[in-house]
Amino acid sequence: MDNVKKWRIPVFITFLLLGFLLSVQFRTQQIFLSDLSLQKTDDLVLMLKKLHDKRAELTKELSELEKQQHTFNADANAGETLIKGLRQDYQRQQIALGLLPVQGPGITITINTDSSVVYLDLVDIINELWASQAEAIAVNDQRVTPWTYIFWSKQNLSLMMNGVEITFPCTIKAIGNPDQLESGLRLLGGVLDHLAVYKVYPVIKRHQNLELPAASPPEIRYLKGENND
Amino acid sequence: MWLPLLGLLIGIVIGSALYIPIPGAFAKYLSVAVLASLDSVFGGLKSILEDNFDGTILLTGFFTNALLAALLAYLGDRLGVDLYLAAVFAFGVRLFQNLAIIRREVLAGWLKKRYLAAAREDKNGQC
Repeated sequence: MDNVKKWRIPVFITFLLLGFLLSVQFRTQQIFLSDLSLQKTDDLVLMLKKLHDKRAELTKELSELEKQQHTFNADANAGETLIKGLRQDYQRQQIALGLLPVQGPGITITINTDSSVVYLDLVDIINELWASQAEAIAVNDQRVTPWTYIFWSKQNLSLMMNGVEITFPCTIKAIGNPDQLESGLRLLGGVLDHLAVYKVYPVIKRHQNLELPAASPPEIRYLKGENND
Repeated sequence: MWLPLLGLLIGIVIGSALYIPIPGAFAKYLSVAVLASLDSVFGGLKSILEDNFDGTILLTGFFTNALLAALLAYLGDRLGVDLYLAAVFAFGVRLFQNLAIIRREVLAGWLKKRYLAAAREDKNGQC
């Protein structure tokens, strides 16, 4: 016990001081290690090299990401182009179906008399115009569409088209190449010759710009596309 | 037995609690001083185990070793001689020697106890 008492105090003091020194040195060393200006040149060179490599890596990554962004942008543009194309396509289909008002060069055929005109004559004229590559036809400002019907109404004693009476003078407008349309009608033994037999002489005029109205869309209830589910 | 450990803990706490900025240039000397202190402490432990402990020697050795080590390292730097390395070497070697002696003493003490318990004294004093 005596022995223990003898060394207790000095050892306590030295251990206290040692602990103190150790912690101070530990902290100093931590600061020292994190201070760049106190690093060894070799370490700094190594660090520089590592950072350089890292930078190169990041630059590469950046360029890759930029490339990716570019691709995405291009994709987005492609999407937009596609939508634009689809819209244009849709519009063309609508125009072709007669669901949009249209304008363009063409001819007008005016029939002044109703005496000898039967519905077949009108159908002949329309057929001839289609055959002459007319792109849109209207009779008395009614568009001729795939679901147009023309008949002679016994009740009204008049020509009917889509359930509307055709009054005379009747004007048929057709958009297309005016020369082609007119020559189609004037073919030898063609529609006009046929009408001339019945003393019907339609007046044909060429126009630089004709305006045709839109037809109302058909009601579709049973129709299905081949790929529609 | 617990008192030195308590002292060590208190010292560490004080050192951590007080912020004592050491300039980078002196960090090296402080490290040598710490090494010297470690050597002194282990020397003290050794002397306790060898039963020739002297508190005065321990305390004076502790301070003078630490200070001299730091001073020598500093002087070496001034003179362009790496006395710092000499101090590290000297104290490092002594540290390991002290540690080895402490180990042997502890081991011997332990063996002695065991053999005494076994009532066999022929191994007494063997290192």
